Amino acid sequence: MSRVIGVAPPEYDPAAPETATILPVAGAATVRGYVQQLLRRHRRAFTLLVTVNAVAVVASMVGPALLGALVDRLAEGARELYLPQTVAVFAGALAVQTVFVRMVRLRGAMLGEEMLADLREDFLVRSVKLPPGVLERAGTGDLLSRITTDVDRLAEAMREAVPQLAIGVVWAGLLLGGLAVTAPPLALAVLVAAPLLIVGCRWYFRRAPAAYRSESAGYAAVASVLAETVDAGRTIEAHRLGARRIAQSDRRIREWTAWERYTLFLRSVLFPVVSLSHMTVLVAVVLVGGVGVLRGWLDVGQLTTGALLAQMLVEPVGLILRWYDELQIAQVSLARLVGVREIEPDAGDPGVRPEGREVRAQEVRFGYREGVDVLHRVSLEVPPGTRVALVGPSGAGKSTLGRLLAGIYGPRTGRVTLGAAELSRMPAERVREQVALVNQEHHVFTGSLRDNLLLARVDSGDEELWAALAAVGADGWARALAERLDTAVGSGGLALTPAQAQQIALARLVLADPHTLVLDEATSLLDPRAARRLERSLARVLDGRTVVAIAHRLHTAHDADVIAVVEDGRITELGGHDELVAAGGAYASLWRSWHG
Amino acid sequence: MRIHHLPYQDPGVPDVRSGTRFLVWLGRNQLGGQLRSLGWGLLHFAALAALPLAVGRAVQAVVDRSGSALGWSAALIAALGGAIALGDTMLHRTAVTNWITAAARVQQLLARRTAALGSVLTQRVAAGEVVAVSTGDVEKIGWFVEALSRFLAAALSLVLVCVGLVVYAPALGWVVAAGMPVLALAALPLLPRATRRADAQREKAGYATELASDTVAGLRVLRGIGGEELFLGRYRAASQEVRTAAVRSARMWALIAAIQVVLPGLMLIAVVVYGAGLAADGRISVGELVTVYSAVALTAYPLRHFEEIAMAFSFSRPSARRAARVLALSRTDPAEAGQQLPKGELYDPVTGLRAPEGLLTAVVCGDPDAAGRLAERLGGHPAGPDQESGGADEKATTARPAAEEHASVRLGGVPLDGLPLDLARTAVLVQDKDPVLLSGTLRELLDVPSSGSVPVDEALAAARCGDVLDALAQASPDGGGDPMATRITERGRSLSGGQRQRLALARSLVTDPQVLVLDEPTSAVDSHTEARVAESVRRLRAGRTTVVLASSPLLLDVADRVVLVHEGRVAAVGTHRALLRDEPRYRAVVTRETEDEKDDRESASGRGRVEMEEPA
Repeated sequence: MSRVIGVAPPEYDPAAPETATILPVAGAATVRGYVQQLLRRHRRAFTLLVTVNAVAVVASMVGPALLGALVDRLAEGARELYLPQTVAVFAGALAVQTVFVRMVRLRGAMLGEEMLADLREDFLVRSVKLPPGVLERAGTGDLLSRITTDVDRLAEAMREAVPQLAIGVVWAGLLLGGLAVTAPPLALAVLVAAPLLIVGCRWYFRRAPAAYRSESAGYAAVASVLAETVDAGRTIEAHRLGARRIAQSDRRIREWTAWERYTLFLRSVLFPVVSLSHMTVLVAVVLVGGVGVLRGWLDVGQLTTGALLAQMLVEPVGLILRWYDELQIAQVSLARLVGVREIEPDAGDPGVRPEGREVRAQEVRFGYREGVDVLHRVSLEVPPGTRVALVGPSGAGKSTLGRLLAGIYGPRTGRVTLGAAELSRMPAERVREQVALVNQEHHVFTGSLRDNLLLARVDSGDEELWAALAAVGADGWARALAERLDTAVGSGGLALTPAQAQQIALARLVLADPHTLVLDEATSLLDPRAARRLERSLARVLDGRTVVAIAHRLHTAHDADVIAVVEDGRITELGGHDELVAAGGAYASLWRSWHG
Repeated sequence: MRIHHLPYQDPGVPDVRSGTRFLVWLGRNQLGGQLRSLGWGLLHFAALAALPLAVGRAVQAVVDRSGSALGWSAALIAALGGAIALGDTMLHRTAVTNWITAAARVQQLLARRTAALGSVLTQRVAAGEVVAVSTGDVEKIGWFVEALSRFLAAALSLVLVCVGLVVYAPALGWVVAAGMPVLALAALPLLPRATRRADAQREKAGYATELASDTVAGLRVLRGIGGEELFLGRYRAASQEVRTAAVRSARMWALIAAIQVVLPGLMLIAVVVYGAGLAADGRISVGELVTVYSAVALTAYPLRHFEEIAMAFSFSRPSARRAARVLALSRTDPAEAGQQLPKGELYDPVTGLRAPEGLLTAVVCGDPDAAGRLAERLGGHPAGPDQESGGADEKATTARPAAEEHASVRLGGVPLDGLPLDLARTAVLVQDKDPVLLSGTLRELLDVPSSGSVPVDEALAAARCGDVLDALAQASPDGGGDPMATRITERGRSLSGGQRQRLALARSLVTDPQVLVLDEPTSAVDSHTEARVAESVRRLRAGRTTVVLASSPLLLDVADRVVLVHEGRVAAVGTHRALLRDEPRYRAVVTRETEDEKDDRESASGRGRVEMEEPA
């Protein structure tokens, strides 16, 4: 036991953030407001749960009360025990208790599930309204962990903790009330244990939620090391990293078990405190009640009922303690989910409409961080129907410029306009009718092939979908699928090749039909040999549209009307292919080494 | 085993002949822990069972008007209370320790198995299955291990209660003893249905989570092109299905809860009716009646453990079976140890490819799949299907290579397949087309077994990772911190495709193997950067053997020799410029115009489709 005393929390905290979180976490006030709103929305269900629960608890107290009365009569040596009546009342109470206990469980689950469904649906509604610029910058990883890990944690809380806590509080309150009604001095005896319980619980709950968070993060880390080892089997074997992976697994296990040991220590303090408080209550009730009977201000029946009720207190108190820390853990997850609400959805100004199709950047400066510009006074004109290629080394600002031209970011100074209207002031829904950004992220959604296409134009009929597939040369393999448009694709469904996935992305463009496209290395993640076939699909989509291509292969640049060489956030060369080759600058030397 | 001694130095050799044997093996390994848990559990439950005795004595003392007897009863309650608290806490500590040590042992076994299997693992068993063992099954196995001794203690204490009651108040005791088995087993028939419903709910919840994370993962696509409402509607439907399934499952559990109220209640009524009669006749005392009532009221708690162990067992059995199946996989290493690291030219007898020692050889291969297979063969010990026959339900694999393709690649005349795996991997490093960046800090990523002669910063510079370092510095928790200490997210998802490729290349350069095989190492890197990377890789690898499978002229141009592999055989050898000039097949693969034009002609005439092509 000596080892139990004073286990310090482990130094390494697996729950500590490892990268900067970009999306906000809600403050206490927002969370409180949200919880109140949630409760208000489910007020009726909540009231019903509490009422049903109260009935069940009161019915459960009938047994001890009846036994008390019986003991009284027996002690007095009464001739008439009223046994049939006692049995009838007991049986009636038992029937009521049985029915209502079932209802409590069911109502509790229904309420919890409804709140949980509200919560996760609310979150997704908020997420899909996030401004594209926020998404682009924050990435989707943080959102992803919120919708998986945090929703899971909340599920536990909503499903069990909230209803069980409501039940526990009502239960304990009614038992104390029953005790007070039976014999007021006995209710006072209960209070003897209060100081011990309060001090112990305060100590525990100050430490527990954070510790449990770290513990579960630690456990998740053990599993994720293994998942990675499985996923990266080839790389690990090639680099002979097997021994290191084992060492890393062992390290994670040590970190995780250190937290398990700490939380076990916390419970090793809490459990005796709770047990001993409970025993103190029982001893106090027996002693106070016993003395009361001997002195004549209580009868034996009251003592019996009181002792049995005191004994029953163990369950609701256990319930409250069991679920209280779960609720505290859930609070953190809730703050992360609700935090998304603090991002202003940029509504844009519906009055801003483009007139014409010319895209133009004027004296644009832009940076991701305060004081560090990525683009310096960049100006570029893209007349309707032309094809502009942006070339240049990684990190020069090509992609950033592309995102400004697609209206995803607004410039710090200067203007980016489409048909003389500022892109950054238009609602995202209007921007995307005109301009689309096509990048290497060719996400295939879990669902049918049809859903994957429909998202671009929700009211399309099957014929339009087939036409779009045909336009990108994907109708061949799509028609060969067993269930055609109904075939399940994406994770869990049919796995499409990267090239097929990119064709789906292109077919969506055909359906959405924006007049201007910004291509950001759309085919770069594909095997170069597979990319060629795809480029023909792409060529058909580009036909007749204004195109800004962030070219990373020179042949793309070669085909463009205008080539802009971007270096260090500035456009250093601008002109047609032949013109630039003749000029003998950076582009020309690159072309020569490419083309021999 | 105490928790702070974890992890195990050696988790041992598990008995994986079946799931049950595996469970037994785990149990045998923590026999002491189980016995400790059982002992403390008995103290806890026995003290709890004795409590009604003390309460009954207190009531009887009051009925008898004896102050001292009341005092003694109170003291007995206090003593029992102390025992209950001690037993409860220690039972919890020992049971949880059993859980943790078992879980840690299984996780360690899994880590060792997966590391040993390396690239062949996912050919034998679905990756998801291995991960499922680690994330779900370990917990279920641990649950059973934890619950076992607690259940035994509870069951033993119930027997004690019944025996005690029979001795203490035989008439009433027999009633209780007869009813107890009914109470213990009544809910069990409902459990299979309840767990099935719970499974259905979990499955639906899993699907909803998958839809949500899928929607979030593709959110940029949705925001960029539309369809948010379509996907929201889909998610709402799935979310409501989860709710319905959960309520359906709750119905079952609510029914079980009701049974757990009504049966003990009926027993209590029987005790009251029968006992009151006995007490009225003076055959038992009032105190005894209270004792029996309160003892029956308290049995609800140990009774619940019957339900728990039944569930734990039904959950853990399939989990143990799956764990045993994964742990039974093996990979034999046919070669004997103690051989020397070979040196010299790398030669592939299947294609006829030669990579002379110390030179940069580029390989151009028309068919991307053939290139991937060639790259893998160049490392020796290909993970290809079936070097041995493993577990019974081995995954069926595709594309079994022809017998002649088994001929091993030779390094300096020594067949690589004949060398121990580790030695072969030391001699030749194959960086495949999709190298994985393991999560961890950049420093950890680049801390790989290496020759030690290429410093990390030199490798990073050669792979042109400057922009990656900037991006990582920005992503560090304090913003603008040390890029080497910044964590790279799983698979490097926070980086662009080109950045990932360059980091993987830097890692291979740090390793500095005698022979380095790179398969399309810069396909996602822009031309500007690729040209610089090609030049510095050549410089850094000077004097070492390097093979690059590539199709980009910028890479091919820096190679000492370029080899064209056509239809599985070496078709031409020369420099990039010479081949470009003299070899039409090479030109067709490497320069795009010719092939595009050719293909366009084919597609236009072949399928009778006339499409607008991009204006030249």
